[in-house]
Order: sequence, then C-alpha cells, then structure tokens
Amino acid sequence: MKPNKIYHNLNLTIFTLVMVFLYIPILILVVFSFNDSKIVANWQGFTFKYYLLLFKNEQIKLAFEHTILIAVSATVVSTALGVLAALGLENKRFTGKKFLTTLVYIPLMMPDILMGVSLALLFNFLRVGTGMVTVFIAHVTFCLSYTVIVIQSRLEGFDNSLVEAAMDLGAKPWLIFWRIKLPLIMPGIVAAALLAFTLSLDDFIVTFFTSGRGFDTLPIYVEGAIRRGTITTINALSTLMIGFTLILVAVTKRVRKFFF
Amino acid sequence: MNRSQAIASSSVLEQRQIKARNWQSWLLSAPSLFWLILFFAVPYLIVILYSVLTPDIYEVKFAFSLGSYREIFRGTYWIPFFLSFRLALLTTLICLLVGYPVAYLIARSSEKWKNILVVLIIIPFWTNFIIRIFSWRIFLSTNGVMNEVLLALGLISSPLEIIRTDWAVIIVMVYVYLPYMILPLYSVIEKLDFSLLDAAMDLGANERKAFFKVTLPLSREGIFAGSILVFIPALGTYIIPQLMGNQNSLYIGQIITYKIKNIPRNWPIASALSLVMLIIIAAVLLILYAFYRHRQIRKMDEAK
Repeated sequence: MKPNKIYHNLNLTIFTLVMVFLYIPILILVVFSFNDSKIVANWQGFTFKYYLLLFKNEQIKLAFEHTILIAVSATVVSTALGVLAALGLENKRFTGKKFLTTLVYIPLMMPDILMGVSLALLFNFLRVGTGMVTVFIAHVTFCLSYTVIVIQSRLEGFDNSLVEAAMDLGAKPWLIFWRIKLPLIMPGIVAAALLAFTLSLDDFIVTFFTSGRGFDTLPIYVEGAIRRGTITTINALSTLMIGFTLILVAVTKRVRKFFF
Repeated sequence: MNRSQAIASSSVLEQRQIKARNWQSWLLSAPSLFWLILFFAVPYLIVILYSVLTPDIYEVKFAFSLGSYREIFRGTYWIPFFLSFRLALLTTLICLLVGYPVAYLIARSSEKWKNILVVLIIIPFWTNFIIRIFSWRIFLSTNGVMNEVLLALGLISSPLEIIRTDWAVIIVMVYVYLPYMILPLYSVIEKLDFSLLDAAMDLGANERKAFFKVTLPLSREGIFAGSILVFIPALGTYIIPQLMGNQNSLYIGQIITYKIKNIPRNWPIASALSLVMLIIIAAVLLILYAFYRHRQIRKMDEAK
C-alpha cells in the first residue's frame, strides 16, 4: 500500500471512531428512555411509562416554561441590542468603535463560571433577589457578544450600492432602513437569534449562579434530579429535548430557504 | 465664491456629517455599551471588592481583609489549580490530536459531503450539555452499557471502574469540547491551497515531510483558535468533574462553586480564586499571542 493510502485510511478510522464517540451518548439516551427498569443501566423491556410520567410531572412542566420564557425574551432583547450595536459599529469613523469591540469580545475569552460568579456577587451587592429577572439579565449578557459579532459580520459584507441608489432617488433614511437594509441583513439577524436561543436553552452554569431557589430551568432541574438520584424520567425528557432540537433545526432550514 | 472657499465649505459640511454620523453611532451602541458595562465590567469590580472583604457563613462582612490572598499564597489551592491546568492542557492536546485528522478529512471531501459531515459534527452539540454528560454516566458506570458489552465479549473479566475517576472526567471533557476544536481547524484547512502540497511532493518531499512542512504550519491559525476555544472553558469547568469525577481530586471550578453556594460560604476566597483564574487566562492568551506574533514576524522576515 502507498503511504498516501495508509494516511487516508488512518484518517478514516479516526473519523469513524470520533463519529461513534459523538453519537454513543445520544443513542443510549433514546434507547434507555424506553427501558422498563428502575436501574438505569439494565435493559428490562420496552415501555412508554416514563413519557407518561413526564407529562404528569408539574416541576418539569414549570421548568420547561421557564426555559422557553427566558430563551425567547433573552433572544429578542440580545438580538435587538445586537442589531443596533452592529449598525453603530458599521461607521468606520465611530470614536467608540474600539472600546465597544473590546467590550464585546472579552466575554468570549472568559470561562462561563467567572460570568456566573461575578453576576451572582453583583446581584448580592445590589440587594436584588435572584429569580427570573436575574436569569434573564445573565442570559442577555452572554448572548449579546455573539449576536453583535454575527450581525456585524453580515454588515461587513454588505453591498452599499443599493443604499446609495435609494438615497440618490430621494428615499428617507428610515425608509432605506426598513425596505433595503433590514431585509438584506435579515439572514444575519436570524442566524444571531438562533444562536442566542440555543445558547440560552443550553446554559447551565450561569443560570446555576443567578437563579437562586425556586426558579429552575430545565438544565438546572435535570442536574438536581441527577444529584437527588430521581433519574428515571430524565432519559425520556432528554429524548424529547433531542427531538425538539432536531425539529428546531429542520424548521430553521425551511425558514432559511423561505427567506433567502 | 472661489474654488478654495468652495472646498473649505464642503469640507466643513463633511466634517459636520462625520460628527453627526459619530453621534448616531454612539446612540445606536448606547444600549449594548450600557448593558455590557453594567452587567459585564462592573461585576468584575464587585469581584475585586469582595475579594478583600471578610468572609461570613452566609454573605460577607464589609470589613477590609487580605486574608483570602494570604490563604492563596500559603498554597492551600495550588493542587486544584494544578489539576485544572493539567486537565485543560490534556483536553486541548487530545482534542487537537483527534480533531485534526477529522477536520482534515472533512476539508478534503467533496462539497456535498463537507456540508453533511459538518452538520453531523454539530448535531450532538445541539443536545443539552447536562443531558449529554448524564448519558456518559449511564454508559461508563460500573454496571453500565460499556462494561456489559465488554464482559459479554469476554474482553474483560471484571467491570472497569471508570466512573468517578479522572479518566471519566477527561473522556467527557474531550467529548464536550471536541467540536470547538474541529470547526476552527476545518475552516482553516478548507481554505488551504493544496497545490502547495503537491508541489512539495513533486520536489521530493514524502507524505510526512510535506505534512509537517506545509500543511501543519499553514493551519496554525486554526490550531491557535481551536486551542483557545477549548482551553479557556476547560480551565473553569465545574459540572463535568462534579458529575463524572470524585471528591478526592477537586478542580478549581468546583472549589469556587462550593465557596459561593455551600454553607459555610466564603465569597472573598471565591472572588480571589476567580481573579487568579482570570490572571492565568490572561497570561496564557498573552503567551499564545506573543508566540503567534513571533512566527508572523519571522515569516515576514523570511519573505524579505
């Protein structure tokens, strides 16, 4: 065999192993969510009962509502702020450009735990009780950097000739914004919003530090359930969540096709 | 009006326009600026403040004390810092070794396959972080799936005790952070000019030499970006060792979390430890940056 071939086969082997490695946990969750056994690890037979239990569990319902509420509100606010900031940063002679850019990029260089700790102490210092509002603030804070960067990168590749043409034809600035600029940067806005939404759904550590007692999101609930050992329904919950993300992804693809 | 006057007045007009545009930009960025200052920058000032206060069981006493720093310099927390640093370094290295071939293979596939493979890498990423860790517990536990399969195949005679060891922590760390390494590597390798590789081989370099002299140096940017994306969150990790590791080897993220959350609390020490972590990260970033710049400058010198 030629060395070329050997290297290629080696790469292929590693690639296959990595794929197996990436998908093992997901496969296990789905299979074991139908497992009729109290002990998670042993296969006892097929059942739907954990899915039924899941829908009866008020705590999970509440945590689900909290998660969606926070994700939607944090996405809306961080995307709106991101659009405004990106439009501001578009101006090359903006005197605050460097300052804002630095402030946007630094949070990306920090482990989540530091944002969690610092926000927890801020809320304590300000004597703000932790709960829904503090979690919302925290989520907007870590989503904001991403939305600004994604929308800004879209604006950078922006073709200004259409705007100039509209200006030459005497269109008012707000009309130019609504009819030309906004539709053109829409893909960037959608991408930013989706990223913010998934980041918010997935977050554990920052929420853990800023939620306090009584305001659980799904990741917080799941972690608590693992710790308490009441884990039988988690597989079913996880499978539904995986299904939910896959649907979200499929819908996104459709939406993208529709828009662009 | 003569010509120079016209130019002067038009430049005055231009100046005014630039000023107006600048104001507009400040106005547009004001909400984000305000948000990031209030909820990102100010909290760090609070961390600095709390690090020099006196600890209390529940909150803090507003009395100045350097006790936390004294405790840190006495070396009480060297081991957790060392463990976290080692874990982050190992995770980064393994992700690089495993991720590079994967990124390379994807980058050299056909256009159609590229998209499919990238999505395949990202999909597990969309599953909730906590849930993925949980399923590794099911897989690796002493009476878990992996042990059952290995026992049934006769490859082992007694179950492997992986769960609650540092090995379990490493496996899950690599699992969680691998996509962060693969994606930047892929985006750099994908843009690489592969005709250079052919040229090197035409000139008599063998596969290995061509890889180490051409491909690897040209993908340096991806290696830096991927390493930063893996190393930094890995250094502060809390939940992975919490769910997969044991209480005999505590990582710094766990110590900080315990000191913030568990009673008796000690917020000053948690604050001081957070600041030390921040300094370590800044140092690592500076070293990487200096290294990167050094190579860039050398490359420019060689080009001359």
